[in-house]
Amino acid sequence: MVSSIRHYASVAACFARLAIQRQLEYPLFLFSWLLMIPIQYFSGIWMLKIIVDRFQPLNGWDFPELTFLYGLGLISHGIFVVFFINTWHIDHMVIDGQFDRLLLRPMNVFFQLVASYVNFIGLIDCIPGIIIFIYGCQLVGFEWTFFNVIKFLLVLAGGVFIRAALFITLGTIAFWTKRNASMVGFALGMLERGTMYPLTIYPHIIQTLFTFVIPIGFISFYPAAQFLGKSSDGLQLPLSFALMTPAIGMVCFFLSQWIFRIGMKSYESAGS
Amino acid sequence: MLYAYWYITKMKLLTGLAYRFEVFASVGTNLILMLASVFLWKAAYSGGTQQVNALNLQDLTTYTILSIMLSSVYVCGVQDTIYRKIRDGQIVTDFYRPIPLLACYLADDIGGMLSALINKVLPLFLFAALFFGVPWPSSGINLLLFIPCCLLSYGILWLLSALVGLIAFWVMEIGNMGMVKDSIVRVLSGSIVPLWFFPESVQTVSKFLPFQYTYQTPLGIYIGNIGTREALAAMGIQFIWIAVLFMLLAAGWKRTKTKTLIQGG
Repeated sequence: MVSSIRHYASVAACFARLAIQRQLEYPLFLFSWLLMIPIQYFSGIWMLKIIVDRFQPLNGWDFPELTFLYGLGLISHGIFVVFFINTWHIDHMVIDGQFDRLLLRPMNVFFQLVASYVNFIGLIDCIPGIIIFIYGCQLVGFEWTFFNVIKFLLVLAGGVFIRAALFITLGTIAFWTKRNASMVGFALGMLERGTMYPLTIYPHIIQTLFTFVIPIGFISFYPAAQFLGKSSDGLQLPLSFALMTPAIGMVCFFLSQWIFRIGMKSYESAGS
Repeated sequence: MLYAYWYITKMKLLTGLAYRFEVFASVGTNLILMLASVFLWKAAYSGGTQQVNALNLQDLTTYTILSIMLSSVYVCGVQDTIYRKIRDGQIVTDFYRPIPLLACYLADDIGGMLSALINKVLPLFLFAALFFGVPWPSSGINLLLFIPCCLLSYGILWLLSALVGLIAFWVMEIGNMGMVKDSIVRVLSGSIVPLWFFPESVQTVSKFLPFQYTYQTPLGIYIGNIGTREALAAMGIQFIWIAVLFMLLAAGWKRTKTKTLIQGG
């Protein structure tokens, strides 16, 4: 058991080194990402500020609280993009026949899929995330006590697992349809709007959907509501519910693993 | 001569109509954007707020719906096309073509627009009408002004795209600058939040930039926030921007050709 874990860890480290070297081979190539991603997210929070300034707090969420929520959602997105981006490319791997290669090696297929591409560039997504989150913490006066830090880290991990589970499930569709690239854009749009704005601005049916069916409310909204001591005035859920993020993350993740395994059974190599 | 362009347009139109699955997902993505933005405005207007800057909730709902429909019809593939073709060297064979290359790319994008009108804008319109009621224009005359204004807007957006595409001839190692331009346009064109709500200083600067004439001007005409005389004046400014950008593009393109020859030589 210990030796197998050590084996996996050494393979993951090797994969990571290769991926980072490959991405750093053309460092200037990162330039356009380095410009675009911060512009996109800083302008996003700026526009929320404009709306709140001209109008009123959104369903009781004022600008500091919105910043806190936005930052929390964005950091979990950034971490997800670093470690799990290959779940977006399952359809490519199926069509190119690269997936065959994973099946031939004597290792867990999902581990290889994820570990073979550590997306170093994804750290760029974390930069605006961390800046906005820290700014939000300052504005709301978030207390960095030991207990709060542990809670924050658990929530972050849970959020990343919920995101991963969603994209693994979507990626599995490619085993049947051979293509799902456009589903990724769809899911990203949904995640962005669902995690960076307060869930309570949406109608009850959408809140229910994002709480019980696709639990993306737990990525940032419910934890943020609890950290800030706000009532989630839409659906009446007990606040302690919010700390279930890590548990829900693990459950979703294992479910998605199960779906992935079922999907793999109907995988037929696309190679000619 | 024109027949060649029409052929390119038609082929693009037909390929655009062939990919059902992509279309389905694109409509879905835009629908989510639309719903989220409209609910955001609803939250902003909730609890008694009637009008802000002479705009009510209905105006902004219409504005948002139309903005998303416009963004899916304004196909500016030219920046990606140039970038991709330079990276894999296909640009060389394109230069062999006996017709101007940029005009080919324009014909290609127009084909993309025609297919988007049928398979993206129409479903979006139907869904929007279903969820929020038909987004009527404020008056017949505004609708008549809206259409030419949209065409001029597209001219500005396409020329900007082509100009950014040219950057790839010099520095293709820095990645696709088209994405950077798109993220700037998204904010400064007023496509998400109208510039009327922005701080005064930003609005003043924006008057001297081409961006607000791409989304905010036609949409403002549609919802009746821009009167007839102002609309005509704005269309004049759009013309000026098209002329300026066109001259820049022509000059840049000429120098680009020699640049490519050097690389190939």
